[in-house]
Amino acid sequence: MSLSCIIVEDLQVAANYLNNCCEKSGEVEVRGHFSNVTDALSFLNSHSVDLIFLDVEMPGANGFELLDQIAFSPKVILTTAKQEYAYNAFQYNVSDYLMKPFTYQRFIEALKKIQPSKETISMNSASDHIYIKTDGKLIRLNNDSILYIESMGDYVKFVTADGKKFVTHNTIKNLEEKVSKSHFLKVHRSYIVNLHKIDDMRENLLFIKGNEIPVSKANKADVFRRLNIV
Amino acid sequence: MKTQNAPNSFVFNSEIDVSYLNSLYGEDYVYVQEVFDTVLHDYQSLSDNIEMSYSSGNLTALRAAVHKIKPVFGFVGLTAVQDHCQQFEQVCGAAGSPEHLAGDFESLRNKIFHSKQLIEEEKKKLELFNRQSS
Repeated sequence: MSLSCIIVEDLQVAANYLNNCCEKSGEVEVRGHFSNVTDALSFLNSHSVDLIFLDVEMPGANGFELLDQIAFSPKVILTTAKQEYAYNAFQYNVSDYLMKPFTYQRFIEALKKIQPSKETISMNSASDHIYIKTDGKLIRLNNDSILYIESMGDYVKFVTADGKKFVTHNTIKNLEEKVSKSHFLKVHRSYIVNLHKIDDMRENLLFIKGNEIPVSKANKADVFRRLNIV
Repeated sequence: MKTQNAPNSFVFNSEIDVSYLNSLYGEDYVYVQEVFDTVLHDYQSLSDNIEMSYSSGNLTALRAAVHKIKPVFGFVGLTAVQDHCQQFEQVCGAAGSPEHLAGDFESLRNKIFHSKQLIEEEKKKLELFNRQSS
């Protein structure tokens, strides 16, 4: 098993089918099935998983509200048929949609999309620089030159102090573990910022060289801890 | 779409899209029986939810309730009913009031009722088939 997951789905037949697909694949260990956001959130407050299979429309809170409240950034595969969620899906780093019911083959295709990219970036968290693979070459970026890193679905964008933007195949979750902890902090599921570059903070927004970066509720306490507030 | 089965296979009701069902479960009829059983377990609450939403005149809730039951029909190979639900969702989204939906809702209600009977019958046939095959 290489991936841990939970299933958040109130339709029992769909949840059972998903569970069956996960077992059959041998790639995904199902840690739990929850039929509502509250129960899923309660589990995720004390457990971490790599992946969430998430229905959107459920009684009570919807699936995106769950993603708003968890403190880490798992991969997400939506199990819904509604195209109108496309914008939200992009914002929440959703890897794929599965329209219920889906075939096992389609399920496997969705799984392939979430394999973490391990070859596109070379970093050492103790180093003062990183290398990213973009446009077929490795580019060195000094930590001090990076303002922030933004998620773009299966890609991330590095924004640098000289106004350049570099896009590479990777995820915020993967980067969070690899970047220099003394320089960088994840402040939102879609953003890692360079702590040394923050100009000011107002409410739930950080400002870095004119760029507004949202700070999630879950990460706000971490931000305050790391800022040198006197 | 409704191709019939190999000689030793289970013979589904002609309203069931066998090709589609095979694409989901292959010919694992024990699992198919489980699926039908699970669907029936949830069916009443899902259809009650539709009735209640319609009775209360809440079109948003009605649309959501139909959206919720829609994939259930796919899981049992009733793809035409699944499509019907999809069409109803669209009609529902465009309707100004429940009165405008009366005819469409009656048609949907009939399909939901008929589908339940069909699923129950198929489940019984599957139980028998699986018992005889084991």
